[in-house]
Amino acid sequence: MMENTVMLLITVPILFSLLFLVLGKSLYKILAWAFFIFGTVFSVLLVMDGTGRFEITGSNFAMIENVVLILEVLVILFIFFVSAKYKNWPTLGLAVIVAAISAYSYMNVAAIESASFNIDQFSQVMVLIVNIVGTAIILFATGYMDEYEEHRHLNRQKTFYFTMSFFIAAMNGLVMVDTLGWLYLFWELTTLCSFVLISYNMDEEGINNGFRALALNLVGGVSFAIAIIILSTKFNISTLSGIGTEAASAAVVALPVALLCIAGFAKSAQMPFHSWLLGAMVAPTPVSALLHSSTMVNAGVYIIVKLVPAYANTSLGTAIAVYGSFTFVMCSALALSQRNAKRVLAYSTIANLGLIIASAGIGTPLAVAAAIMLILFHAISKALLFLCTGEIEHTIGSRDIEDMSGLIKKAPLLTILAALGMVSMLLPPFGVLLTKWVSMQAASQNPIVIVFLVLGSALTTVYYAKWLGTIMSSTMDKNVVTHKKPETYFPLSFLGSAIVVTSILVFAIYDYFIRPQVETLLNAAPVISGQAGQFASEIGAFAYAAIFVVLALALLIYVATKNMFTPRKSSYYMCGENNLEMDRLMFRNGLCSYDKSNVSNIYLENTFGESKLTTIGYAISIILIVIALAGGVL
Amino acid sequence: MNVNDILTAVLVLIGAPIIGCLAAGIDRKLTARLQGRVGPPLLQPYYDVKKLLSKDNMIVNESQNLYVVVYVAFMILSLLMLVFKADILMIIFVYTISSIALIVGGMSTGSPYARIGSSREIMAILSYEPVLILYALAIYLVTGTFKLSAVLDASTPLLMYTPLIFIAMLFVLNIKLKKSPFDYSTSHHAHQELVKGMLTEYSGPGLAGIEIGHFYEYVFLTGLIFVFWTVNPLIGVLISIAAFLLVIVIDNITARVYWQWMLKLSWTLLLAISIVNIAFLYITKPTLV
Repeated sequence: MMENTVMLLITVPILFSLLFLVLGKSLYKILAWAFFIFGTVFSVLLVMDGTGRFEITGSNFAMIENVVLILEVLVILFIFFVSAKYKNWPTLGLAVIVAAISAYSYMNVAAIESASFNIDQFSQVMVLIVNIVGTAIILFATGYMDEYEEHRHLNRQKTFYFTMSFFIAAMNGLVMVDTLGWLYLFWELTTLCSFVLISYNMDEEGINNGFRALALNLVGGVSFAIAIIILSTKFNISTLSGIGTEAASAAVVALPVALLCIAGFAKSAQMPFHSWLLGAMVAPTPVSALLHSSTMVNAGVYIIVKLVPAYANTSLGTAIAVYGSFTFVMCSALALSQRNAKRVLAYSTIANLGLIIASAGIGTPLAVAAAIMLILFHAISKALLFLCTGEIEHTIGSRDIEDMSGLIKKAPLLTILAALGMVSMLLPPFGVLLTKWVSMQAASQNPIVIVFLVLGSALTTVYYAKWLGTIMSSTMDKNVVTHKKPETYFPLSFLGSAIVVTSILVFAIYDYFIRPQVETLLNAAPVISGQAGQFASEIGAFAYAAIFVVLALALLIYVATKNMFTPRKSSYYMCGENNLEMDRLMFRNGLCSYDKSNVSNIYLENTFGESKLTTIGYAISIILIVIALAGGVL
Repeated sequence: MNVNDILTAVLVLIGAPIIGCLAAGIDRKLTARLQGRVGPPLLQPYYDVKKLLSKDNMIVNESQNLYVVVYVAFMILSLLMLVFKADILMIIFVYTISSIALIVGGMSTGSPYARIGSSREIMAILSYEPVLILYALAIYLVTGTFKLSAVLDASTPLLMYTPLIFIAMLFVLNIKLKKSPFDYSTSHHAHQELVKGMLTEYSGPGLAGIEIGHFYEYVFLTGLIFVFWTVNPLIGVLISIAAFLLVIVIDNITARVYWQWMLKLSWTLLLAISIVNIAFLYITKPTLV
C-alpha cells in the first residue's frame, strides 16, 4: 500500500508535467485544480499509510537503477550544453568536476544491489508541505502567469508548468528515498529545475542569476558527491538513515557529514552561498514561492536535520549551530535595510533557514523538535507572503514597500491575508513564533547562539512591523480595481487558514509527527506536555490558547463597543493647512499651491545596508564553515 | 484555576489601573513641581480619562480603535501573566503584541505625524527588545527555568547576580514609558514637534483607551523591575518606586535626543553591559536558591 503511494507521488507529478506540455493553455486551470486535489489526497494518504521502509530489489531495481543512471548522465549533459551555449565557463568547469566525480564513483564504488525508501514522520511532513503548499502555488500561478507574460511579452508557460510539476516529483523523491545515490539524483534535479525557472525571462539578468544558482548549487552537489564516495568506500554506508545508526561513532563520519551539511548550506542558500537566492527573485513570484521559500530550500535543511544523530553534541554540531545563528542575525539585519518586498522575503527566508540549522546544530531533543516544526510553519507562512507579494505587485504595479501604503483601502482581503502572514512571522500565538520561542529556550545553553538569536529576533520584529504598518495605513489615494480570481484568491485564503489551523493544532501536530521523529533521531523525546492550551517544556510554557482567547475577546469587545461611541469621520490633522477644497489630504505650502505629504519608513541603510554587511557576512561565514570542516576532520 | 486565582485576576484588573492612574498623577505633580508649577490634582489622569470617554468618537478610519482594544487587551494579558508567574520569555512576546498593535494603529491612520511617530517607535523596539530578552535569559541562567515562579520562590534576590542588566532595564523603562530623552514617538509633554506623534489621530474614547492601557503598562513595567528583588516584597516595591521616580527626574532634566542616538546607546552600551552580565552568569553558573 505504502509502496504504491510512494510510487504514485513520484510518477503522477511527472505525468502532470507531461500533460502540461501536451495540453493547451485553456486546460491549465483544470489541470492545476486536479493537481492540487491529487497532491492533497495522496499526501494525506501517505500519512495514513503510516511510517516504515521498503526496499526495491531484483529486476525492478535493475530497471530503475538504469533509469537513474541515464538521468544522471542527462543532467550532466544538459549542464554541459547550457553552460557551453551561454559561454558560462565557471559552470562548465564545475560540470566537468561533477562528471569526473560521477565517472570515478561509477568505476570505483561498489554497485548497490537494492534501493530503499524510508518514510518517517519527517518525510510525511515534507510530503505534506510539497504536495499541498506546492500544488496550491501552482494553482495560484494559473491565475498569475497570463498577466505576468503579457507585461513581458513572453510565451513560455509550457516550460514553466512542466518544470514546476517536474520539480514536485523530484522533491517528493528527495524526501522519501533513503539510498544516497538516488537522493543525489533528485538533489541535482531540483537544482536543474531551479536553474530553468530562474532564467525563465530569458533576459541577461535572468540567465546570469540562473547560472549563479546553478554554479553555487553545483558546488554543493560536488560536496554531496564526495561525501557519498567517502561514505561508501570507507564506511560501507549507502543510505541516509545509515549514517546516524550504522557508523561506529559520530566522530568517525564527521568529515562526510560536514560535507553533506555544506551541500545543505548551499541548497538552503546560507551565507556565503546566499547570493543565488537573492538573484532568484527575478523569476516569476510563484517560482520564488515554490522553490525559493517554502519547498526547494527546505531540501537543504531536511538533509541537515536528518543528519542530526551524526553530529548531535559534538563540536561539529556546535559549529553548525553558531554558523546557522550567525546567518540568522546577519540576514535579518540585511532584510531591515531593504525596500524591495521580495528581497525582504528572500533575506527573511535565509534567516529562518539559518534558525532551523542553528536549532539542528544545538542537537538537544527540544531544539530538533523546534527545527522540524519551524520547517513546517515557515513553509506555510512564507508561501502565503510570497504569493501575496506577487498579487500586490499585480494590483499596484510595484513591489516597493513604500508604494504599498494605503493597500488596505485598495485591496482589503489581500491586505488582511498578507498581514496575517506577517503577523504569523513575528507574533505569538502563531507557529513560527512558537518555534522561535522553543529554539531560544533550547539555545540558552550556548551563549553565542542565544545572543545571535536575540539580536536576530529583534531585527525580525522591526522589518516585519514596518511593512505591516505600511500596508495597513490608509492613505486615500485613488482606488484601484482588483481582479479577484478564484485561482489566485483560493490558494491565498487556503494558506491563510492553514496558518491559523496549524497554529491552533500545534500540540496535536507535535504529538503526531514531531515527537516520534525526534525519538527516532535521538532516542530521546523532548519533555513537552500540552495541557490547558499550553506548549509546556521543562523550562517554560508557551500559552498559545490564552492568546487566541484574548484575541477573540478583543475582537468581540471591539464589535460590542463600536456602536456605543458613534464614530464621526474626519480627515487627518495637517496643522489646519489641508487643501479643504480637494481631498483634504495635501498640505498647503507657502505659495498657496498644494504638496502631498510623504512619509517613508526607516531603513538604516548606512548601518545595515548590503554594501556595509555583505563583505563581513562572507568573511565570517566562510571562517565558520572552515572551522566546522576542521572540527570534522580533527 | 481556583477561586483564589480568579480573585487575584479580578484584583489585578481593577487594582492595576488605579495604581497606574495614581502613578501618572504623581508623575504630573512631580514634573510640575520640578518645573516650578503647582500642577494638576493627583487624580487629574482619572478626570482626563472620564472626560475623554464622554467626548465624540472622532476617527479618520474605521479600524483605528480596533488596535487600541488589542493594545489594552494584550497589555492586561501580559500583566496577568506576570502576576501569575508565567514564562518570562512568553510574557515579553505577549507584550510585543501590544506594542506592535499601538504602532500599527498609529500608522493605520495614515497621518504623516503618526507615521513618523510609529517609525520611531519601531526603532525603539529595536533598541529595547534585545535587552528585554537578555533579561529573560538572565532569569533562566540563575534559576534553570524561564518560569518566573522560580525567582519568586528563591531566597536570594535576582539583583545580586544581575546588576548590569538592572541598569540596562532602567533605560528600557525610560524608553517604554516614553520619557525624555527618549520621548520622540509620542509624549505627554507639549514640546512635540510631531503634534502627538504616533497618537496624533486618537481622540475621545480611543485616546481614553490608550490612557487606560498606559496605566496597566506603568504597573507592568515597574513589575519587571520588582522581579529583581522579590525576597522582601517591600524592598522590591521600593526599588520599583525609586526606578519610576528616577525616570521622571531624568525626564525633566534631559532634552530629547535623536532616535539614532538611542539606537547607538542601546546597541553599544546597553547590549555590551547586558552581555557582560550574561557572560558572567555563564562562567560562574550561580544558582538562585
